[in-house]
Amino acid sequence: MRARFPIAVVAAVAAAATVAACSPAPPKSGAGGSTGDATLTIATTTDVVNFNPLIGNSRTDDWITDLMYPRLLTIDADGNKKPYLAKDFGYSNPTTGYFDIRDDMKWSDGQPVTASDVAYTINAILKDKPAGNTTYGQMSNVVNATAPSTTKVEIHLSRADSTVVSEVGFWMNVVPQHVFEPNGSVAKFPNNSNWVSAGPYKLVSAVKGQSYTLERVSPYPFAPNNTPTLQKVVYRVYPDINSEILALKNGDVDLIGNSLPPAQVKSLQSTAGIKVQEAPGLGYEHMAYNMNHQPLNKLQVRQALAHGVDYNAIRSVVLQGQAVTTGSSPIPPVLKDWVDPSLKEYNYDPNQSKQLLAQAGVSNLKLNLIYSLADPVSSQAATIIKDDEAKAGITINLQGQERNTYLANTASGNYDIYLGNFAIMDDPTTNMSLTYLPGGAINYGLVNDPALSGLIKQAQATTDKAAQKQLITQAATSVHDNVYDNVMYMQNLYFAYSNKWTGFTVKPSELLSLLDPQSLANVKKTG
Amino acid sequence: MPPVVRFAVRRLGRAVLTLWFASTVTFLLLRLLPGNPALAVESPNMTVQARNILLHQYGLDQPLLTQYGKYLWQLLHGNLGVSFTQQVPVSSVLLARLPWTLLLTGSSLLLTIAVGIPLGVLAATRPHRVLDRLVQVFGVGVQSLFVPTVGIFLLFVFGLQLHWLPIGGAYTPGVYGGAWYVSVLSHLVLPCVSLMLVQLGSYALTLRATLIESLGEDYTVLANAKGLPRSKVVWKHALRNALLPTTTLVGLNLGYLVGGAVLTETVFAYPGVGRGIYEAVTQLDYPVLQGAFVLLAATVVLVNMLTDLAYGVLDPRVRTA
Repeated sequence: MRARFPIAVVAAVAAAATVAACSPAPPKSGAGGSTGDATLTIATTTDVVNFNPLIGNSRTDDWITDLMYPRLLTIDADGNKKPYLAKDFGYSNPTTGYFDIRDDMKWSDGQPVTASDVAYTINAILKDKPAGNTTYGQMSNVVNATAPSTTKVEIHLSRADSTVVSEVGFWMNVVPQHVFEPNGSVAKFPNNSNWVSAGPYKLVSAVKGQSYTLERVSPYPFAPNNTPTLQKVVYRVYPDINSEILALKNGDVDLIGNSLPPAQVKSLQSTAGIKVQEAPGLGYEHMAYNMNHQPLNKLQVRQALAHGVDYNAIRSVVLQGQAVTTGSSPIPPVLKDWVDPSLKEYNYDPNQSKQLLAQAGVSNLKLNLIYSLADPVSSQAATIIKDDEAKAGITINLQGQERNTYLANTASGNYDIYLGNFAIMDDPTTNMSLTYLPGGAINYGLVNDPALSGLIKQAQATTDKAAQKQLITQAATSVHDNVYDNVMYMQNLYFAYSNKWTGFTVKPSELLSLLDPQSLANVKKTG
Repeated sequence: MPPVVRFAVRRLGRAVLTLWFASTVTFLLLRLLPGNPALAVESPNMTVQARNILLHQYGLDQPLLTQYGKYLWQLLHGNLGVSFTQQVPVSSVLLARLPWTLLLTGSSLLLTIAVGIPLGVLAATRPHRVLDRLVQVFGVGVQSLFVPTVGIFLLFVFGLQLHWLPIGGAYTPGVYGGAWYVSVLSHLVLPCVSLMLVQLGSYALTLRATLIESLGEDYTVLANAKGLPRSKVVWKHALRNALLPTTTLVGLNLGYLVGGAVLTETVFAYPGVGRGIYEAVTQLDYPVLQGAFVLLAATVVLVNMLTDLAYGVLDPRVRTA
């Protein structure tokens, strides 16, 4: 018995020491004003991978860094780009874009946010090419950026490109030059401590796999009296959406950041104490037919495939009515300024599919369709596609794949049909260049049509909005008529939160949704 | 060379060889996985050229042998590398998560031993009677449980329905001092009990079987004949010999201390190494995975050595062999 006492003591001391090592120190207060002391707790399913907003990795990275590092532009409910840090934006000539930025925003360490910060961020991305940076892909025609004054930024282009200002403005987070520059390459700077913020909140504590706490920063010009309404915003990490829903019902969190699976929406809409908010999607689910594989290079075969699927059934069964048709157009209906209502969805007609295949001289058509097993909606839609196409005499071999295998096969073009989705297609011109130009980063159909390429390139080059719209409408019609891409629907998104809160503003996509910085700077408790 | 030193040197050599083997296999296996870290970065605008730049930054465009040489050289210098996705040293990634894993798996192991051994003794001292049957049924039943199933059941009952315990995480953000310790304990209960339940059966049943055997040995009969109290015969004489297989079990379970709770940590959103491994797999963060598996291998090797030592303490025959 003598030996047991010391063992027990050692075990107890070890356990206490282990726990104590993780004990957080109370954060230093006083970063903000004194309006309210409320804390909003938000559930997320992914950890922050990197605190450097120029190295994008997970949705949570975006949500948290967006609260600290402002974008130049934001987006309204109709998908139009609107001023945020930039008050005005456009082109002074075809190869020079500009932003006029606000003069009333400051970093939390007292330094003003200036045009130099913006120019530094653009030039640093160009020079260091940080991993996964969305903006870098849109800068192929950017030579550099300069700051002629403290509020004026100019972007110099190698050739006319009308997409640069709106895309750089929307996708790029501006970082503080005085913090990032001394740390060398932005591709290698983890930015994992001593954060400064020009948004409504600033990160004060981060425990990987557990939670991220942000505190109010003022002045913030988009909040009432320049003071964000919450004292704290806390992001808590949960393994999946089901755990998040349990946590919301249990009162552990106030809001679920991730959009709800279709099957959970109706149930939560009727749950006491919980509100469900709809937000338009900004992307779409589609099938790309590999044009390098015969007989998919034949238009009639692609048309036969397109007419062989009951898209309405997918929307009503798999999505439970929470999706809208795009008219088989690659322009999501939320982008009202760009939509062409004359485009109609491919109607479901197995007999027409059979006739088209006969005209093409194709029989016993057998094709492989890949999709990601990580996406339950795609998995269910794939089953319906297989059954529907079978009625048209087409055999679809479903290949549900683990995410990294799916990505590898997608990159190598190892499929007949690709089924997947794009989350945010905010700018038709940019997105069409990525999706349908030869060598485009997401040209999964391996489309190579000189006429279509010409339309897209002309749309890229012109800064005349009306001319651009006309060109894009023609390009979308070409994609529709040639079945270069089979866009099945745009999913509406639903977000759940406790009815103890009010004042959220809703923006399209899961990226912005209710979590946009301006929304969280104005939200408050009811009663 | 004295036998003890020879033994230690031999064991140490074997440990180094095991670590080299484990780290090499990990290095090669990761590169056999479909895709690559540049593809796992989810950015719709990354062209093939941009992905190649990324592979160059990661050093993955170099010949495999060069990569392996650099990896081993770093490892020999105690450097586990830098995380591809987080741009911070792998050692800091793992060290931030290690305390939570040790707390969870360590406390569940202690709890399992504290409950499992008395349960085994209870059954063994009443062989083939009702209590013994109950322990056996219970033991086989919990052995067949699947951690996520147990976890979700406990979450539903004690979290959602009764509101006694939190749904997930390691503590409630925003609490400090004494309240923080209380929060840590309340968050620990469900994952710890889940792990304990699935391990409990093997401990109780193993001990029951070996203790029944020990209780039939001559030395136990002699101790009874000498008139020693029954509890002393069981707990001091029979149990000590019966504990050897249980010690092996503890050793095996200790080996999984660092990474063996992946499922539990995932279900309960517990911020430990296991969940870190899961996330690194989805991101194909090779350095973090390599570091985590080296840590796992080192733990297994170390625990095996400690188990050997424990055998010596428990069984004098091992010491003199």
